[in-house]
Amino acid sequence: MSMQKTKVELKYLILKPLGYPLKASYHEYPVVDNPKVFDRYAKDQWKGEFVSKGMLLFDMRMFPDFAFEVESSEPECGIISESTIILVEPANREIETEIVTNVKLGDIVGQEEAKRKVRVILEYLKNPEKFGKWSPRNVLFYGPPGTGKTMTAKALANEAQVPFISIKSTKLIGEHVGDGARRIHELYDRASQLSPCIVFLDEFDAIALDRSYQELRGDVSEVVNALLTELDGIESREGICTIAATNRAEMIDQSIRSRFEEEIEFTLPTYEERIEIMKKNLVDFPLKVKAKISEVARFTEGFSGRDIVEKILKSALHRAIAEGRDYITTEDMLKSITKKASKTPPKNMFV
Amino acid sequence: MHLPQMGYDRAITVFSPDGRLFQVEYAREAVKRGATAIGVKTKDGVILLADRRVASKLLEITTIEKIYKIDEHIYAATSGLVADARVLIERARIEAQINRLTYDEPISVKDLARKICDFKQQYTQFGGVRPFGVSLLIAGYDSSPRLFETDPSGALLEYKATSIGAGRSVVIEHFENVYRDDFTIDEAIIEAMIAMGKAIESELKPDGIELVVITKDEAKEITGNELNKYLEKANEKIKEEISKE
Repeated sequence: MSMQKTKVELKYLILKPLGYPLKASYHEYPVVDNPKVFDRYAKDQWKGEFVSKGMLLFDMRMFPDFAFEVESSEPECGIISESTIILVEPANREIETEIVTNVKLGDIVGQEEAKRKVRVILEYLKNPEKFGKWSPRNVLFYGPPGTGKTMTAKALANEAQVPFISIKSTKLIGEHVGDGARRIHELYDRASQLSPCIVFLDEFDAIALDRSYQELRGDVSEVVNALLTELDGIESREGICTIAATNRAEMIDQSIRSRFEEEIEFTLPTYEERIEIMKKNLVDFPLKVKAKISEVARFTEGFSGRDIVEKILKSALHRAIAEGRDYITTEDMLKSITKKASKTPPKNMFV
Repeated sequence: MHLPQMGYDRAITVFSPDGRLFQVEYAREAVKRGATAIGVKTKDGVILLADRRVASKLLEITTIEKIYKIDEHIYAATSGLVADARVLIERARIEAQINRLTYDEPISVKDLARKICDFKQQYTQFGGVRPFGVSLLIAGYDSSPRLFETDPSGALLEYKATSIGAGRSVVIEHFENVYRDDFTIDEAIIEAMIAMGKAIESELKPDGIELVVITKDEAKEITGNELNKYLEKANEKIKEEISKE
């Protein structure tokens, strides 16, 4: 490791509790009670320590030899300083904090409207003060599956160099009454600690279900109410941008929907975009490509970006490997196209 | 897109608690799937203009009919389900003939429109049927130019200028701004074409539209050179409008 690298101060450090090297029945398994107190406590003992992903840090004071693993950090390695934000992933891992490094906005093909809005959010996350009360706070991404909603949100976190906090919507429902609401509040508590940051709620329709369906799913209504208070921001939540993603925007409760200042539609790729998606994904393809991409693009109308990668490219690759070839052909790709149900009704039915 | 409305959209004869008939509303969505048709009334006559969507180049273009002749003095433009439209047109033609046989005179436009709407309404009030997924613009000249719009519920309204199909709101917005009572027929055609261009967001091609003009003396489809003359004028304006956006 060069000397220069060690001098980089960490911005964020995310730790995962691992446990003791040895365990006996009298050992307690400590949990972080107050993140703010822990942050101070951790710095006092680990300041100046050089860390990188996968390294272990041992507690020296309250629970000697209790180990934490470095889950991720921004930048990838560096020293813990006074300004480092230290976080511990809770053991049950409902709220995930991630430092995204592998996706860029440039990787996303098409979705121009989404990119435009994302640039505004980017600007906001870089200097939240500039926006004041006019900040972009809640944005809803909707559109068919596989069109890049999650990817865009992650790319945004990466470009803005802020943490990406997400929670699986399904984890918010189904346990004890009150759990869901509590977790929403925990989520936002963590977010305000990390701000500026992005809170990402995937499969949003699972938790923000329209009230007329809440008779069927009574447990969802507490989550909806918790969300309402958080999205509304009675407390000022500066520097937090909530992005929710769903395939079914029309299922979302109206009162929640109205709290999203913007709804951005993700659309299925056009012919040109499909070509571009294939080209991008074929860059690091393991086999030689002897296929006419434009031909494949013509037959993949209605396919999403993910469909193209998973259903066409991947299965073409597998087919070629199975047949012992070191190249794929147009034929391989076309065979992978199983007739996809068209979402628009047959044009011939209407005049 | 619509939410399934807690089962109130399963049967057409069941009102929802807030007094809506969802199946009938859904039928109007079918109309929105149709290509745009425009009707404009002037003091001298009525015009009908329709966008003819050609889905494949293998199709014989004449098979895509948007505007039908009902009687010597009445034409109707359709938007929505083709099959439903055909049935209604057939019905309209028969009604026109019944009137001629019974009273020995051509049917008035309003009577015809009303007959069609009576027929449509039946399909919203009885079980085991579904509403017609089609709207008609019924245009004709009896003692004066008339222009009616029918919708799947059987509602009937007379308009100075109106539109059905995918581009309805764009066209209506256009005419709310430009409509004058003293339009000449030529002006009405050009304005309708501009509105159509805005609705489909492209210039018009002679194969892509149908135009019918109904005046006191004659009712005819405009094709060939005569149509091209209008198109040239309109396309210039459409180009301007599109580049503005």
